Amino acid sequence: MEENIGTALVVGAGISGIRSALDLAESGHRVILVDRAPHIGGILSQLDYQFPNDRCGMCKMLPMINRDSSSQYCLRKGLFHENIELLLSTEPVSVQGEAGHYRVALRKKSSLVSEDLCIGCGECIKVCPVEVPDIFNAGFTARKAIYLPVPHRIPNTFVVDTDSCTMCGACEPVCPTGAIRLSEREHRQFRILVVDDELIVRDSLKELLEDEGYSVDMAESGAVALERLSGQKYNLMLLDIKMPGMDGVTVLRKAKEEFPDLTVLMMTAYATVETAVEAMKIGAIDYLLKPFETDLLIPKIMGIYNEFEAARARFVDVEAIVLCCGTGFFNPADGKDTCGYHTLPNVITGIEFERIVSGTGPCGGQLVRPSDGKRIEKIAWFQCVGSRDLQNNADFCSNICCMYAIKEALLAKSSTNGEAETVIFYMDMRTFGKSFQRYRDKAQDEYGVRFENARIHSVVPEDGTGNLLVRYVDTCGKIHEECFGMIVLATGQRPVKGTAELAGITGISLNPWGFAETAPFSLTETARPGIVIGGSFSGQKDISESVIQASAAAACASGAILASGKSPMPESLQETVSPELLREPSRILAVVCTCGKSILAYTDKNMLSEKFKTDPEVKNVIFSERICTAGGWDELVGHVRKYKPNRLLIGACLPYMYGRKLKELEKETGLAASLTEIVDIRTPELRFSGENTGENQAAVVIEHLLGMGLVKLKHAKPSTAPSLPVTRNCLVVGGGIAGMRAALAIADSGYRVDLIERSECLGGNLRWITETIEGFSTQTLLNDTIQRIEKNPKIEVHKNTNVLASFGEAGLFMTTVENSEKEVQTIEHGAIILATGGKETEITAYGHGTSEAIVTQKEFEQRITARSLDPSTLSSVVMIQCAGTREEPKNYCSRICCTVSIKQALFLKKQNPEIAVYVIYRDMMTYGFTETFYTQARKAGVIFIRYTKDRKPEVMVSGPVPKVKCFEPTLGEDVEITADLVILAAGVIPELPAGLASAFGASCDTDGFFLEAESKWRPVDSIKEGVFACGLALSPRTIAESVATAEAAAQHAIRIISRNRLPFGKVTAIVRHSLCSLCRQCIEACPYGARILDTENEQILVNSVMCQGCGICASVCPNKASVIEGFSTRQILEVIDAAICI
Amino acid sequence: MENLTQNETLHDERSCDPLVTVQKMVNSCLQCGTCTGSCPNAFAMDKTPRQLWHLVHLGYTDEIFISRTFTLCSTCYTCTLRCPRGLPLTEAMSALKQIAAKENPKFYRRSILFYKNFIESVRRHGRVREAEFMTLYFAELKNPLVPFQFAHLGIKLMLKKKISVRFPSRGNHQLESVFRKVEEMEPKS
Repeated sequence: MEENIGTALVVGAGISGIRSALDLAESGHRVILVDRAPHIGGILSQLDYQFPNDRCGMCKMLPMINRDSSSQYCLRKGLFHENIELLLSTEPVSVQGEAGHYRVALRKKSSLVSEDLCIGCGECIKVCPVEVPDIFNAGFTARKAIYLPVPHRIPNTFVVDTDSCTMCGACEPVCPTGAIRLSEREHRQFRILVVDDELIVRDSLKELLEDEGYSVDMAESGAVALERLSGQKYNLMLLDIKMPGMDGVTVLRKAKEEFPDLTVLMMTAYATVETAVEAMKIGAIDYLLKPFETDLLIPKIMGIYNEFEAARARFVDVEAIVLCCGTGFFNPADGKDTCGYHTLPNVITGIEFERIVSGTGPCGGQLVRPSDGKRIEKIAWFQCVGSRDLQNNADFCSNICCMYAIKEALLAKSSTNGEAETVIFYMDMRTFGKSFQRYRDKAQDEYGVRFENARIHSVVPEDGTGNLLVRYVDTCGKIHEECFGMIVLATGQRPVKGTAELAGITGISLNPWGFAETAPFSLTETARPGIVIGGSFSGQKDISESVIQASAAAACASGAILASGKSPMPESLQETVSPELLREPSRILAVVCTCGKSILAYTDKNMLSEKFKTDPEVKNVIFSERICTAGGWDELVGHVRKYKPNRLLIGACLPYMYGRKLKELEKETGLAASLTEIVDIRTPELRFSGENTGENQAAVVIEHLLGMGLVKLKHAKPSTAPSLPVTRNCLVVGGGIAGMRAALAIADSGYRVDLIERSECLGGNLRWITETIEGFSTQTLLNDTIQRIEKNPKIEVHKNTNVLASFGEAGLFMTTVENSEKEVQTIEHGAIILATGGKETEITAYGHGTSEAIVTQKEFEQRITARSLDPSTLSSVVMIQCAGTREEPKNYCSRICCTVSIKQALFLKKQNPEIAVYVIYRDMMTYGFTETFYTQARKAGVIFIRYTKDRKPEVMVSGPVPKVKCFEPTLGEDVEITADLVILAAGVIPELPAGLASAFGASCDTDGFFLEAESKWRPVDSIKEGVFACGLALSPRTIAESVATAEAAAQHAIRIISRNRLPFGKVTAIVRHSLCSLCRQCIEACPYGARILDTENEQILVNSVMCQGCGICASVCPNKASVIEGFSTRQILEVIDAAICI
Repeated sequence: MENLTQNETLHDERSCDPLVTVQKMVNSCLQCGTCTGSCPNAFAMDKTPRQLWHLVHLGYTDEIFISRTFTLCSTCYTCTLRCPRGLPLTEAMSALKQIAAKENPKFYRRSILFYKNFIESVRRHGRVREAEFMTLYFAELKNPLVPFQFAHLGIKLMLKKKISVRFPSRGNHQLESVFRKVEEMEPKS
């Protein structure tokens, strides 16, 4: 079976890459996750505060089900999952093959530091003479050529920046573990043998080639050359033809006989070309005529070297490739308009600001100017720097800058107790995401962030103060001059470095601005099947959109893997603990690692050993070296076999690295993984290193830690790792495009789906839409999708059916449905996807309903489709944006209406260029690449008039045609427009009845949309495990975005229904019913909603799949009735005792 | 209050409307205000450049041609350089100047005479001779009060030797052929 397991390659280990990799791994595929950086986390590793709660939260992506398969700590530090192989500093260099079978060559850039040996002591940076700006801190601080890529990484091994390293070698001798190997530099490993009888030729060649970084040896004659060849492996021989004694051709012939793989380049001055050609027949690769130019020689050798490099690449066979390569940023210093960036020190970019307020940044989290350390009293953000700028070939919006500018302004406010004055200069505030509009309003009204609708061109320094003067015109036309202490530029997106090369390798296409292009109606699929895009690689996205798209990419990749005939990994066997084990007295084996410069090397091992052995349960104490290496581990396994302990204590470094090894150990020797304790003895050693009393103190601390581990192990209970059976099918409620695509994604993975649709036909909103703004036909999409649904034997469609009731939990839900004939049916399913959709808001504002000439966007679309409206008869059309939303009580942006208006305006202008089209708007939300259509509309002569919500346009319907009166802010006066047609952008409301949501244990937000478990990191999940949502029920979105949420939700459901049994985490809460007084405090306290009151049996029940073992219930329980397995009171108290007394 | 219905005639006669060329130039304007913030003469203008472009969008011919904004454009090209949309704003200003001169010569008489005499001085000498240019300008304005309005500035400039006081002369006509050629090339109107 082993060889039939599918593998996916995920390129890029930012948050999208991690999300995709985890999704694939959790559904049983093997994943190779590569990143060219020496750390994971991508750009998020530099950002400490995320919207909306100014926290990180990356760890929320970790598996919730079967969570013991992965490391369970900060994802910014590292990721360890059983099914994921993480390769850092690695890039794909070639992709061969086709859908279902790709062979990818991966090249790893050597960091010149052995990860196995480096203990992160930092001795090397003390001696390194090279200082370069630290990219991690956006250049505000300096680092050495050997450095830690991010301060919080685990394992904290150093890497050498080969671009800036001078290879002086100072660090090599100071490394206590000999981890630094500068000779591993790629070029150094390429060994060249120069064979020439003339000393001057040999010497000059050696010097030249060594300057290029190669390792060079010399031989003065053929005989010496052959001798050298037999003693050492060479990659290239430069061979002179005319030599006394043995001539070149003979040497070549002999060398080729013995080393047929050796590459030989002939050199000749006197010999004829015929001889050289003869040499090539024997096997020389080429010849050079002496005297040769270095310009000729170096490229030739480079060519041979590249082949050598390529051959060293690791080849992997994968069924699917997910590209999550992220995005780059515009550098204002390169633009036509620099805003003083790089010339004025206090003009910075958004990412630099994030570093300034970061605790690990140059100012330790204080909001001061790095240039002079002054406190910042007034700070401005300039939006759209390098976006929406035709002069810089950027006819697109960068999606996220508006929101991060607001977040940064609020950060500035909070770090100065609200004293800093903050101003955001914007063109349109694009708050198009869920909850974004309320966040903006809060920033403005509650925190006093000033929003100024203006674009500023130039920044002038104020004399001597470092402050910055700007000049701008406000909406009324008044010109202002203002002085700021700091200016933050919201720099736009650019394709990440290497995008074009990667596109060349993988054969995907790029859009006109160089970003990866996806297929119509998909945010993930490319022109090549099996190669999909995740995250910001196809245009910058915020966290929630990135993870949605990454999950969708995982769904597509998973589909491609299964389509190629591969299958997921079989579920690991149930851990069963024999009853004898519980009765057996403990036999503890303690193995302590003494590797490297371990403190334990200096302490008295015998004394430590004796101390442990005073405990009768400790049978053996062994000191070992390098447990982390393969050899060290084998030794440990040998000890386990020899002493046959039933509990194992290991003192070593990096405890989280041992998860997989312990499981293997359990398989090999039967020693339960749950009865193993690993104590981190490395961290105290590092902490106390360098202090005078350091070694003694560290030794004491390590002794305590080992003692604590021992007590913990003694009281550990063998876990039974229970699990729940799973009903392996899924229920999808809603037959719109999101519901249909979710159903298809699940059915294509081989699981059954029941698709519930309350009306008589599938399609939802797609039925009244004909075309997207890009010109893709939605009817073709609809018909194709319905056909695929009908043909799929795994999907059962229930039309005219409503959900009556449901109960159950992840793994098994029982849902009762009723059709139009009042027939009731109960469906059992393992997961549920709510795709109930949304609809256009019904409005009465702006005279809607009083005149035939006042319509909503949907009504307009329907009239055009029905041909009941002829554009050639119209002379003036007014569109009013935000007619139904973006103010209380529906204070959210409907995201799609601006694009729809632009689409309709362009349609009208195309049909009849004489129509005057007026769009009355608040902020044009043409985010991302739809911005280009906004430009097109402007060019086509559509007139745009901005309004604010306190001065709305009025529609008057007294005469034969309506008149629209509005305030024109640029002119500062009211205008009146006679309109043949008024189109209202009514906005989107969800159609998710609160009763339906709560039937499945989900809930709705204040606007009636599905309430996610976490708006950023778990955007399609409900707090209740096994319940997911997609499409308009989640939030307003376009067709392609709805499809992405559908695929993401499907992928999350597959994580559950692809298993026969759902394994729980080892650490979960249990209730001692005899002690429980049913006070229900624990139910309220549980952040995962894992507890319910069983009224029938009068018991509190814990859903072990949903319980994450956080322990809050145990701390609120007044009776100690709530207990966390593996953390019994007695055990913890004894651990504390062990920590404080000796 | 403005009434757009009045301007509908304007839409109907688009083909012959001289404003259409200017509209095409500035159509994709986003109303960001960079031009106004950058314009060194904006303080003296009755409409800011941003307002002017929006009037052009809206086709408010009447309002545009009672404004003197475009006559104050000194063709420094700052706005063209800085416009994020890369629009030819200085050219659009020049186009408005030309339309104004053609459509409403009476209203823009002073501006027209100013430009005419400025270029006349250039035609004679290859550069502008300030004193000569002002003399010609005042002479054509036929309003004895105007020179007094400029007297204060003129004296200041003279004291700082910014203006060379020379009598008007016919010049040496070296540029004459160039100007004639341009006249030939320009469409007759």
